[in-house]
Amino acid sequence: MLKVQFKTKIVSNKKICPKYFSLVLDKKFSKKEISAGQFLNIKVSDGLKPLFRRPFSISRFKDNLEVLYEPVGEGTKILSQKEPGEILDVLGPLGNNFIKPEKDVKQIVFIAGGVGVAPFIGFSDDLKSFKGNKIILFGVRTKEHTFNLDVFRNNGFRVFISTDDGSKGVKGRVSELFSKIDVNEKGTICYVCGPKPMMRSAQDFVIKNNLSAQGSFEEVMACGIGTCRGCVIKTKSGFKTVCNDGPVFDLKEIIF
Amino acid sequence: MKEINLKVKIGDFEFQNPITVASGTFGYIEKYMDDAKLRKLGAIVPKTITLNPQDGNPAPRIVETASGMINSIGIENEGVDSFIENKLPKLQKIGIPIIVSISGKTKDEFLRIAEKLNKCDIAFLELNLSCPNLGHKKLVAQDSQATFDTIKAVKEVSKARIIAKLSPNVTDISEIALSAEEGKADALSLVNTFWAMAIDIKKRIPLIGNVTGGLSGPAIKPIALSMVYKVRQVTRIPIIAMGGIMDYKDALEFIIAGATFVAVGTANFINPNAPLEILKGIKEYLKENNISDINQLIGSLKTK
Ligand SMILES: Cc1cc2nc3c(=O)[nH]c(=O)nc-3n(C[C@H](O)[C@H](O)[C@H](O)COP(=O)(O)OP(=O)(O)OC[C@H]3O[C@@H](n4cnc5c(N)ncnc54)[C@H](O)[C@@H]3O)c2cc1C
Ligand SMILES: Cc1cc2nc3c(=O)[nH]c(=O)nc-3n(C[C@H](O)[C@H](O)[C@H](O)COP(=O)(O)O)c2cc1C
Repeated sequence: MLKVQFKTKIVSNKKICPKYFSLVLDKKFSKKEISAGQFLNIKVSDGLKPLFRRPFSISRFKDNLEVLYEPVGEGTKILSQKEPGEILDVLGPLGNNFIKPEKDVKQIVFIAGGVGVAPFIGFSDDLKSFKGNKIILFGVRTKEHTFNLDVFRNNGFRVFISTDDGSKGVKGRVSELFSKIDVNEKGTICYVCGPKPMMRSAQDFVIKNNLSAQGSFEEVMACGIGTCRGCVIKTKSGFKTVCNDGPVFDLKEIIF
Repeated sequence: MKEINLKVKIGDFEFQNPITVASGTFGYIEKYMDDAKLRKLGAIVPKTITLNPQDGNPAPRIVETASGMINSIGIENEGVDSFIENKLPKLQKIGIPIIVSISGKTKDEFLRIAEKLNKCDIAFLELNLSCPNLGHKKLVAQDSQATFDTIKAVKEVSKARIIAKLSPNVTDISEIALSAEEGKADALSLVNTFWAMAIDIKKRIPLIGNVTGGLSGPAIKPIALSMVYKVRQVTRIPIIAMGGIMDYKDALEFIIAGATFVAVGTANFINPNAPLEILKGIKEYLKENNISDINQLIGSLKTK
């Protein structure tokens, strides 16, 4: 009964580094129909195990729809075993999107934790023509979670990496890289996506430095379209659904 | 073969077919909804509304469990006034019957909601009786007297026909069903969710913010089915059956056990097209089995 449910063929589904997979779907949307920050809710199994669909950010949409994912549990493991040519039942594009920088913005900062980097790939395509300072701070557990980041460089971003174990880039959390941000530049917008503790430290940072910021959040979801009210997040204006009011929120509005 | 009849009646009210959606599992979202398809359903049951707006429960509100899910949403809703102003007109415009689900903390709250809805030309109210009976330890739907009192009182003030939605968390659901019938309910909705919980063993915390919640989905289907069957043995009141209906076969089991109507709940989250696929599957089943009228199938279970 939904306009956003479709079946599509897998074009490719392969490892892009030891920890992450890239899934390419035989599906295109026009610029009007899709924006960076939106997500797909994918049925990974025909049976009851797992029951729910699994939500994934749309990582790229210039051409075919793409998803970047990390196998972490049963559903993502099943997804990782799918072969090109297999059919997936998908809902999407769902949710809201990152709001593009206003005219007075001079510095764009992506802060990504782990596979939270996904939506920034397509967003960096959108921001290619932006002339100001563009950086991405990418924090991961180990070198095995990093992949070829040339897409960001080609779109004019300077790339900084941190790893928890120091196997690549700066050792420590992504907050070790916050010093790369020119906090005196008030025309700064930060876009943030990653695990909750990272979102929280980013919130502290942007509040302290009075920078504007949008964060893309995750909660366990059932429907993905705002019906079940299951995936709520606490904000200064009450509970909001991550799937339909979000996943992108003003980072400063979120109550952790 | 002549046209297959899918029309069913609750009292004097006729529906184009016996498929609806369970309260809380269907939201009318304009930007996503294909109205032409939606219009094929027999009825729509929106999420339960209460007298005043409710924020709902703390996160996490849902967790997936084996063949099911536990939810504790806390009836997050905008309240009856906003519902009447902002939601109901859009729902009514779809053109199929709307069954408005309501719940109150007291009998008086039920009555006030029902009175407000009297001006809205609604064919059916569904009373969600899985609500605390203030001043008592039990839910309304766990207490025969409270069930009777609530239904009777709403029946007296409301212009709509009344459906009583019962909780499966009782020793003998047929007892409560009889009280509902005595209170002059026009139909019963069977069943709401089963009390349940799940625990994160690493952190030793409940996986639901409210500690416990309600289990729904395929896991509950056989139990819900037995309850529909049990109630059908003691009364002829029409039953709207729900509990883990995922496909047309599940729906047919409930109809054969005695349900006049079936509601699709959790399945909507997994396959939003499930209600229509179920409708299609039932039609094909009737054709294959040379049954010209769905009403011949209702309660047609053969037992020795
Ligand atoms: C809007 C949104 C966008 C997302 N985008 C991506 C993405 O681009 N790439 C990616 O790899 N992952 C993404 N996720 C997370 C992804 O949905 C989960 O990793 C996936 O659902 C886990 O399923 P599983 O069956 O493999 O794991 P499970 O066995 O279900 O659980 C394994 C772990 O994943 C967590 N988890 C389970 N379901 C969810 C969920 N719905 N949301 C968040 N965590 C969950 C569990 O709490 C547990 O810790 C996104 C989540 C949301 C809500
Ligand atoms: C997320 C969720 C929210 C629900 N909200 C309501 C509600 O507001 N009112 C109500 O009467 N039942 C509510 N229910 C119960 C369903 O209407 C239905 O009775 C139950 O889920 C069993 O059917 P199912 O197994 O097909 O889901 C809810 C169920 C779920 C899963």
